[in-house]
Amino acid sequence: MAGLELLSDQGYRVDGRRAGELRKIQARMGVFAQADGSAYIEQGNTKALAVVYGPHEIRGSRARALPDRALVNCQYSSATFSTGERKRRPHGDRKSCEMGLQLRQTFEAAILTQLHPRSQIDIYVQVLQADGGTYAACVNAATLAVLDAGIPMRDFVCACSAGFVDNTALADLSHVEEAAGGPQLALALLPASGQIALLEMDARLHEDHLEQVLEAAARAARDVHTLLDRVVRQHVREASILLGD
Amino acid sequence: MLQKREKVLLLRTFQGRTLRIVREHYLRPSVPCNSPLCPQPAACRNDGKLLSSDVTHYMIPDWKVVQDYLEILEFPELKGIIFMQTACQTVQHQRGRRQYNKLRNLLKDARHDCILFANEFQQHCYLPRERGESMEKWQTRSIYNAAVWYFHHCQDRMPIVMVTEDKEAIQQYGSETEGVFVISFKFLRNFKRFKMKKKKPNKEEARRECTQKSSSLHSLQAIFCSNEMQNYLDNFWPDLKAAHELCDSILQSQRERENESQESHGKEYAEHLPLEVLEAGIKSGRYIQGILNVNKHRAQMEAFVRLQGASCKDSGLLSDILIHGMKARNRSIHGDVVVVELLPRNEWKGRTAALCENDSEDKALGDPPSEPMPTGRVVGILQKNWRDYVVTFPSKEEVQSQGKNAQKILVTPWDYRIPKIRISTQQAEALQDFRVVVRIDSWEATSLYPNGHFVRVLGRIGDLEGEIATILVENSISVVPFSEAQMCEMPVNTPGNPWKVSPEEERERKDLRETHLVFSIDPKGCEDVDDTLSVRTLTNGNLELGVHIADVTHFVPPNSYIDIEARTRATTYYLADRRYDMLPSILSADLCSLLGGVDRYAVSVIWELDKTSYEIKKVWYGRTIIRSAYKLFYEAAQELLDGNFHIVDDIPEFRDLDEKSKQAKLEELVWAIGKLTDIARHIRAKRDHCGALELEGVEIRVQLDEKKNIHDLIPKQPLEVHETVAECMILANHWVAKKIWESFPHQALLRQHPPPHQEFFSELRECAKAKGFFIDTRSNKTLADSLDNANDPNDPIVNRLLRSMATQAMSNALYFSTGSCAEEEFHHYGLALDKYTHFTSPIRRYSDIVVHRLLMAAISKDKKTEIKDNLFSNKDLEELCRHINNRNRAAQHSQKQSTELFQCMYFKDKDPDNEERCISDGVIYSIRTNGVLVFIPRFGIKGAAYLRNKDGLVISCGSDSRSEWKPGSLQRFQNKITSTTTGGESVTFHLFDHVTVRISVQASRCHSDTIRLEIISNKPYMIPDTELFHQSSLLLKSDLVKEVTRSVEEAQLAQEVKVNVIQEDYQKYCQTKGRSLYTLLEEIRDLALLDVSNSYGM
Repeated sequence: MAGLELLSDQGYRVDGRRAGELRKIQARMGVFAQADGSAYIEQGNTKALAVVYGPHEIRGSRARALPDRALVNCQYSSATFSTGERKRRPHGDRKSCEMGLQLRQTFEAAILTQLHPRSQIDIYVQVLQADGGTYAACVNAATLAVLDAGIPMRDFVCACSAGFVDNTALADLSHVEEAAGGPQLALALLPASGQIALLEMDARLHEDHLEQVLEAAARAARDVHTLLDRVVRQHVREASILLGD
Repeated sequence: MLQKREKVLLLRTFQGRTLRIVREHYLRPSVPCNSPLCPQPAACRNDGKLLSSDVTHYMIPDWKVVQDYLEILEFPELKGIIFMQTACQTVQHQRGRRQYNKLRNLLKDARHDCILFANEFQQHCYLPRERGESMEKWQTRSIYNAAVWYFHHCQDRMPIVMVTEDKEAIQQYGSETEGVFVISFKFLRNFKRFKMKKKKPNKEEARRECTQKSSSLHSLQAIFCSNEMQNYLDNFWPDLKAAHELCDSILQSQRERENESQESHGKEYAEHLPLEVLEAGIKSGRYIQGILNVNKHRAQMEAFVRLQGASCKDSGLLSDILIHGMKARNRSIHGDVVVVELLPRNEWKGRTAALCENDSEDKALGDPPSEPMPTGRVVGILQKNWRDYVVTFPSKEEVQSQGKNAQKILVTPWDYRIPKIRISTQQAEALQDFRVVVRIDSWEATSLYPNGHFVRVLGRIGDLEGEIATILVENSISVVPFSEAQMCEMPVNTPGNPWKVSPEEERERKDLRETHLVFSIDPKGCEDVDDTLSVRTLTNGNLELGVHIADVTHFVPPNSYIDIEARTRATTYYLADRRYDMLPSILSADLCSLLGGVDRYAVSVIWELDKTSYEIKKVWYGRTIIRSAYKLFYEAAQELLDGNFHIVDDIPEFRDLDEKSKQAKLEELVWAIGKLTDIARHIRAKRDHCGALELEGVEIRVQLDEKKNIHDLIPKQPLEVHETVAECMILANHWVAKKIWESFPHQALLRQHPPPHQEFFSELRECAKAKGFFIDTRSNKTLADSLDNANDPNDPIVNRLLRSMATQAMSNALYFSTGSCAEEEFHHYGLALDKYTHFTSPIRRYSDIVVHRLLMAAISKDKKTEIKDNLFSNKDLEELCRHINNRNRAAQHSQKQSTELFQCMYFKDKDPDNEERCISDGVIYSIRTNGVLVFIPRFGIKGAAYLRNKDGLVISCGSDSRSEWKPGSLQRFQNKITSTTTGGESVTFHLFDHVTVRISVQASRCHSDTIRLEIISNKPYMIPDTELFHQSSLLLKSDLVKEVTRSVEEAQLAQEVKVNVIQEDYQKYCQTKGRSLYTLLEEIRDLALLDVSNSYGM
């Protein structure tokens, strides 16, 4: 069997994109009325929904409260129908827990937590369809939701994945490209300062190539930022019209 | 700008369920169309290969045509081919990686006028598959739609011919768009032949018209109006006979295959396992992956699988795996990458140690085989390595005996290791006396032999040209004369328009013309001078040593036609009587050759050495202009070094000088040679001191010993000048290797020589023990020392044989890319250097060209001006190294085979019973159960001599030591073999015994002729004529070649006067035939695994 050719000699990927091109991104903010903030994002066929509550008082054990900053609580779940094979448990498995932790790290770096000491911010993310780059989609959705909730942040957090095939860095991997088993890097970036909120890679990649892949991911994350920024401005314009301002 | 679409795929999972998968599919407004007629080339981003503009139409093959007739589309005569992405993808999915890679290479190759058009990513060309539409229909529809778009994109200026095998498509689309014609490729040919005849004049005219005009829509239409049933090959390429024949033979074999799959009878072989099972099996260690290697001498029974990579370490197996019999081999062919399952231990078999004739099929052998070794059977093939095979059709009688099924004919490949191939053809009788190239198409489990098709004719059996062509094809060497496009890139140097140093280059390069005394030392008569040397004293008293190599890369820009051609050839091929150059002779013998007295471009390495210790202080690399002052030959240089100045008269440069200036110049030159020798001695001593004692230093002597015996031209001791020149070249290679590795740690081309496996030395050790020598093989130094000591004063041949055995035990030196190896593995065992590469012969090796480019890039990197664009990445370089290694091996094999061919042709006409030359002295160098292997020093032939003949009789020698065949038995010991007749007489042959053998030629119709040896006496051969003995074997060898060539030429002249171009070329430029001593040294330095017969041959 001839394996799928991830990058053709002409420079096209399986789905027709070139190496640095993103998938189509569509997003909406304020999709739920009862939450403080909410957002929905589609990155290609990866679809994610994020909801934010807070800042509010610590729920449950008071002992968890932090004296100098807010507690960020993230929960990740993915719908049973989100993947090709039906999943048994929507959340609570190892992978979801890990993803929750990563999201938390990312947003602790981005939200100005010291403005709300002894309080809690909840971020719930659900993936409705997983077609590669779930982490990136979750971060981008959560960013919009946090913005929608009006919680002060240092900057947008924009995330994107990147891979490495045939000596070329590919931005924004789809499921087919992820499944091929090459190295995959997930990057969450604060675009204005260029600071990295989270960087993760599972497979092995030669050190020499890391810079190239990182550069591709960062450029893609900046592109994501442009798009998200447009979504936010659009949302604010619509909201202000509705308020009659 | 991208548009998102969704593609719904229904996939079947392994459990058999259907899975609905949605995949994204992005379309874009413009993809590169790569046509020179494109109205907006900027928008299309047309970069790289463009279609040529002098075609009358573009041809778009349908997916089915690409799949089945790719071989025909590969003809360079077919121009303006647009492969649609849809078609390429079907090839990838249905035909597998091999075919797809062929297509990819075709698209990449700048010499073929074809491009890929990514129609599925173009927003107007993409058509979603409709519900209920079959895949095939959709593919054809997509391709047609893209063809129409392409036609309009080029503003309707270029007619497009879509070629399909689908009748419905021809009907449906045939007349839909004006300017886009849909016709068939070849089929329906017979049906319409009579129709064509009627309208032929009309059509011919139209076609001529169409080739004349460039915009030829109307004339094309005229052709198509003339008859309704069209067919591409007949219409456009009626003269391309080769393509027609190939097409016929492909069609026929296809039909056969269809028939066969319908009437599946009993299975001959087990089915191969599916790929997933194989991969899982290899991972779990149940199966083992390796390359199948068929034993040449018992091709029917024995094959070995050499383990590859990871499976080698895991399985704990040290040796190869034996595959016994054709059933176990399960349709794999020599060279395939196969997956093997080990058999249980009680079914293991041993390899046979007896000598055997190849023709005997599956003969029951009486001898017990040696100890059992791991035995397995092939369960699947990962990669088929089918190539073109040279075959011979059976003679008339044999065809008749094959009987009823005369359409299918079993042909016998020239290579013993390849099974017979079934061909269906009607031309069998006409092709009987020819060597023919065929290709294998398939091998079904139901068929005993593989199916193939006929490709082309090479030449008559036994004809010199035909046999040489056979050797070339068998080694996959293709040497067509350089094309016009390639020659156009060459600079001009004629008396009317001489080549000159250009002023720009003069500014760029360091000018050594006035400041340095540059000279070359080469064999006599050599015209392709790669390398020159210089030495001088600097003002601070230090010495400056320079090695100046021809600047080939200046004339061969990367990715030019000539570069691509040189890359494909990779090396100059030297056959026994001719040479196939890597570069055209204008470069190799003229502009790149560093001749005396003319200005030439060079790449130089210049060292500054301390005046007393010869320590290297500084090194400089760069481009230079030089003018070689003297073109010396080795003997003259040596004479000068020894102080014998009478040789001066032989040096043309001195001839026209008056006495005084002659004296001054001579002194200058003698000083330079002397200094050079001194430096070389020091460098070598330093290397020796570092624990490096080179094997080849001794080997050189062996080579020269041989010359000494017989060649009175060569003095007894090897000339020191040889070593001096060689040492300077090694030094240059070593320093360049260091430099490029430092600059490009991941993409430098170096040469490694891995240390040999100790177990391969066991035979050497035992043989030496038989003569009472001890060989220490622990390191290269101890090995060389003990080989030096293992010298039998009475018999110099013993030492020679031991050395050749040592060489055989070693692995080949190989090129590699530094990015793919750990640094410890860079080591060169033979030279005992940590880094080594090839830099000094860019005229005849492509690797040196790559190294030159790397060095130039490294220098420019130092100067902060990057020119990295043309360097290979690690992956590409590794691919290239594999290719060059491969070609080098092919060059060695072809050289060896052509030498053997000449040996056979020489002995063929001699009557072995009467002719004096056919009886010779031989040395036994290996013992088998039913015979011995004998080396004949006089002719450099190695061969087998049987002690038991076909009737089961054994050899016996009477009191007069004449041998006879008598009934009896053989008994084999470690170092000897004893033959005892029933009468009680016995004769024993020891290792290294001298015997008298008779040489005869065993003629073979299907294979190459072989030399046969027969022991006629167990005493050394007494030479009746002393003069004959002193005749040089080398001399004899070249005589042999000349004699054979002459007789062949005479035969040809009788028929027609035919001038052999290569021969003429040779006389014109007098180039070395690869036998210059330097190349000889290089070869031994590479420690290539050549047979003795070869390395001492020619």
